[in-house]
Amino acid sequence: MIKLYDYLLSANCYKQRLLLNMLDVPHELVPVEFHPGREHESAEFKRINTLGHIPVIDDDDFILRDAHAILIYLACKFDGAGTWYPTGDPRLLGEVTSWLQFADGTTNTAAAARLHVNFGYDFDLKACQVGAHRLFRVLDEHLWFREQEGLGWVVSAPAPTVGDIALFPDVALSGEGGISHEDYPALRRWAERVQRLPGFIDMPGVLPTAPLPG
Amino acid sequence: MTVPDPASLLHPVAAGADLVPRHVVQSRLLGRALAIWKADDGFINIWEDRCIHRGMRLSAGINDGAELVCQYHGWRYSNRNGNCSYIPAHPGEAPARALRVPGFACAERYGLVWSGSPSAAGPPSIPTLEDTEVLPLRGLPVNVPAALALKGLAGYSFRPAAALGTGSPVATGTDTHSPYSVTVTAAAAGAESSVVFFVQPADAGRCVIRPVLSPAPAPEERLAVLRHHARGLEELRTQLEDRRPPEIAVQPPMATLAPLRGDTTAPTAGGRRPQVQVRVVRKWLTAEGIAAFELGPVSGELPSFQPGAHVDVHLPNGLVRQYSLTNGPGLTGVYRIGVKLEPQGGGGSRHMHDSVHVGDVLDLSEPRNNFPLRRDAARTVLIAGGIGITPLVAMAQTLARQGLTWELHYFAQSDDHIAFGEMLDPLARDVTMHLGLTPEQTGDELAEITRSYAPENHTYICGPGPMIEAARAVAAEAGWPEAAVHFEYFKNESPRDDTSAFDVSLARSNRSLRVHAGESLLDALRNKGVDLPSSCEQGACGTCLATVLEGEPDHQDVYLSGTERTAGDRMLTCVSRAKSGRLVLDL
Repeated sequence: MIKLYDYLLSANCYKQRLLLNMLDVPHELVPVEFHPGREHESAEFKRINTLGHIPVIDDDDFILRDAHAILIYLACKFDGAGTWYPTGDPRLLGEVTSWLQFADGTTNTAAAARLHVNFGYDFDLKACQVGAHRLFRVLDEHLWFREQEGLGWVVSAPAPTVGDIALFPDVALSGEGGISHEDYPALRRWAERVQRLPGFIDMPGVLPTAPLPG
Repeated sequence: MTVPDPASLLHPVAAGADLVPRHVVQSRLLGRALAIWKADDGFINIWEDRCIHRGMRLSAGINDGAELVCQYHGWRYSNRNGNCSYIPAHPGEAPARALRVPGFACAERYGLVWSGSPSAAGPPSIPTLEDTEVLPLRGLPVNVPAALALKGLAGYSFRPAAALGTGSPVATGTDTHSPYSVTVTAAAAGAESSVVFFVQPADAGRCVIRPVLSPAPAPEERLAVLRHHARGLEELRTQLEDRRPPEIAVQPPMATLAPLRGDTTAPTAGGRRPQVQVRVVRKWLTAEGIAAFELGPVSGELPSFQPGAHVDVHLPNGLVRQYSLTNGPGLTGVYRIGVKLEPQGGGGSRHMHDSVHVGDVLDLSEPRNNFPLRRDAARTVLIAGGIGITPLVAMAQTLARQGLTWELHYFAQSDDHIAFGEMLDPLARDVTMHLGLTPEQTGDELAEITRSYAPENHTYICGPGPMIEAARAVAAEAGWPEAAVHFEYFKNESPRDDTSAFDVSLARSNRSLRVHAGESLLDALRNKGVDLPSSCEQGACGTCLATVLEGEPDHQDVYLSGTERTAGDRMLTCVSRAKSGRLVLDL
């Protein structure tokens, strides 16, 4: 069974839990006490990931680190339909990759603001918040136009991809970093669409949403 | 032009397209945070974005189509009236009518949703948007005050929709038809378009530009036109913000926004006085011998209620009758009741059937709830006999919408006697009909229904007296505790004895009085100026309940359970009396 080295409150680990559940992949969570124990920096954990980062997966002794690399690996291995990581379509694959890159940006801004507020990290909070708003403005406009096109996800395909999974936790948890969603109505609707996907699970800080009728 | 007080106008607060099903939009107007949601019946609620309990944002709440649920402690608020309909921490109680979220004015025009002053004449009327198909463009939040945005927008230029790619942007006319809008017209290459920019003053430092284009472009040009303006407005925003960072620093309110609803009516003590006027908007025969009435407000809005509530109807012939509300959650604009014709009765139902018609005005009491529904049971068993279905229809719809585990057993003479079938049909999966049974067969069915009791199960029974007696007896036998068996009688058919006379002391008001034979305690109290609320005045509904501090009551009602009677600390003042020579009441 796949082992996920996991911390409940980590946005990057939550991405893996989300995709594992949505793809219905049996897995085992190995808790790593990120805060306050800083277990990810321990010598013992560094034998698993020399960079001292979570998440890491161990799939039958194949060890893989980096949140987005793991998403791609899981999608390629377990998504029979091939929609979560569309390797067969160069354009879609390019789009997905650009949104994974974009999600690195939200990690460095929105997620960093949350780390500062909740976990005592010493970041420039204001710079993180301003950076997050800059990205959310772009994302909100992008998603608004997707709705105009009759689509609902970050790439121009009818089904969600790992791009949506990579973005969702930073968006959903950014309120904890003092980043309001008041100016981003399309982003709020997209987040609800993600929450209504089959297999969606929440985490502390992600509030449930109303199911659609019927 | 002098700018009028922004709080005296209506402003856009959302695009109509933002209000997707089961969603809550987060917005802001004049520094006031708003939660905006559309119920399944299409009604748009614009509320203060704050749970009255602990201040949680309601825009983070759950829109279940009929009620908005706060995510913090689960307080539920009704569509339309904003009244709290349920508090999970007090599952057995009906929330006070004063618990209500402030709501604001709402209007729709040009594809936008408007709010602000309830006394404003309406959203602005713009000549270029009238009598033509319009297209609302994407709303753009800008971190500058509304006045600055309006100034900048006056310099906006663009290509007309039918001549997008043929040259540089132009502006051939600029106009101001309302204090918070700018109209820019572009004519080029034989084509002409106008954009009206409405500016929503979010707070003192921020606004949202909400453009509306006319005429609407051809479908194949739509996306290109939307992108054209998105680019143009993005450039304008960059200029306006002058490379200021896009941060949201919330400013204090600019003006006091008048709530739509005034203070709630003060709780009325008092006897059976009509408090609400309603007009009959619909009347239909819902089953053999059962007339259904839909009652709308004559003015203002109707007082709130929860499942299990009833109203007194004050008939023109002087009779007062109690009828349960059948309304499901969110249906708060009308009251729906069912009236069974009782040919041998006192004439109330005959009057309702024969003499009350659509358009007539009736006097009602405010709804009271002495039969409240818990929404925390593991399983809820509803048992209805005949017209006793009315409060249970309301309960069934509530339980179904919340996805709770429940079942309804409906005892009726035949198919023709099933009332409110149209409300029950969608719930058929959880409804069992028991038709045309003899009293013995009914008893057997009731025993079967209540056969298994498990913790956190609750049952609600309403029907003819003998049926309630039978159901309570078999439930008790099957191990249902009294606290899990809820019932409501229509009337008190037990023999009453008012021959006793006794003294009563009122502990709180430090008064005493004597109740003579033939006189009710309630009347004696009223003669002394103690104004207790009452409804059925025959010991069935529980409205005139008083707390007993000393003395032994002589219970003659059908409202209290056996345990409550034995405890002797509460009594119904309309029919019950004293076994001891003296009672001390907490009045």
